[in-house]
Amino acid sequence: MNRQMQAGAGLGLLVLLAIPDIRHAMEESMWRHMLVQFPLWTGAAFLLAGGIPAYLRKTIARWNMYGISGLFVTGIIFAVLMIPRVLDQALLHPEIELAKLIALVLAGMALRLSWRPAGLILQFFFLGNMLPMMGVVGWLYTESPQRLCNAYLLDDQIQLGNWLIAAVAIIAVIWLTWIAWFITCQETRQISRH
Amino acid sequence: MLRTIVASILVVLIGWGAASRITCDFQIWTEEGARRLQVALHPVDLPPVFIEGPNLTQTTLPALLSQENSVTIASFIYTRCQAVCLSLGSIFQQMQTALLSNTGNAQTANVRLLSISFDREHDDLPALQTYADNLSAQPELWHVVRVSQTEQEQLLLRKLGVVVIPNGQGDYEHNAALLVFDSAGRMVRIFDIEEHQLALNYALHLAGKHVADTSS
Repeated sequence: MNRQMQAGAGLGLLVLLAIPDIRHAMEESMWRHMLVQFPLWTGAAFLLAGGIPAYLRKTIARWNMYGISGLFVTGIIFAVLMIPRVLDQALLHPEIELAKLIALVLAGMALRLSWRPAGLILQFFFLGNMLPMMGVVGWLYTESPQRLCNAYLLDDQIQLGNWLIAAVAIIAVIWLTWIAWFITCQETRQISRH
Repeated sequence: MLRTIVASILVVLIGWGAASRITCDFQIWTEEGARRLQVALHPVDLPPVFIEGPNLTQTTLPALLSQENSVTIASFIYTRCQAVCLSLGSIFQQMQTALLSNTGNAQTANVRLLSISFDREHDDLPALQTYADNLSAQPELWHVVRVSQTEQEQLLLRKLGVVVIPNGQGDYEHNAALLVFDSAGRMVRIFDIEEHQLALNYALHLAGKHVADTSS
């Protein structure tokens, strides 16, 4: 899929996700709110960022060497959005909901612009921070005897916790598989050159 | 590289600012925590909603709370509840026993208990009466009431920050807590159910302060 098609798909997905009924359906349960809505919005924005014109990408890249500032944007946005109060506030106040959705779009776009420039070491550093954070949050949600969000049931919270921990494992496995594949490819190329 | 460093520092500062606003300077992490902090800083006035209950002529909630200059520990319940309200009920019983055991004390005489039902559909007056009887609530010390009208009930819940969600099996989950109202009928503190001793002590302290005020 070329960049333009990706951007189109991303935009289409964002429009679809913004439809109030779909938004409400996702926010009806705590685990869908965090583990369906968050990744879908981020993913759509990731695709959309493919359509950023080359000159703009170059200007941004000057402020984003090795994708460092971009990964900070993504990491910090996810860290802030994982504060339990944000979920409640987003349901109560439309302006917080809007800010949350814009933040998710920013996180997705920043990730797209920074992931490749970051290279393996910085990617590892990024995931090495994000995944344990997600794991700890997941563990807290599972183990807390109290409801952390007034708007959601306790069972829902435990389910979210379990899924967060599962997501950590899945992301880690995918990334390691990709690395293994990447390195194998590189070595094959080197061997064939000799 | 300098630009990247500047951008990164800016991003961190903005993120820090946002997190600090959301968590009220990193004091709380949940909406419930924010509500309790807010109430402790700024007492909440009550809307004049009409309430009814056994052994009670119809009156408004603020009127009931400011009766006899008493401090009130209140909690929201529904009588069919098999989970958290059961422990709430027994906590209220313990508090009633503690209050009755030293009635000679002017302070204790000034603390009242109040259970407010948020399930108007099922909790009619006989249901409330049965609930009060089962917990051997003393009518002069502990009232069990419900709000007379649905709209007023919603208003009250919203004003006090009580969120009730049906769990799909005919029951409800709600942010059960002990709400302390001062003698002017304002909500001044919210305590966790586990902190019932603290809630009681706080109410006694408030009542004591009030008694001291009027005697001086």
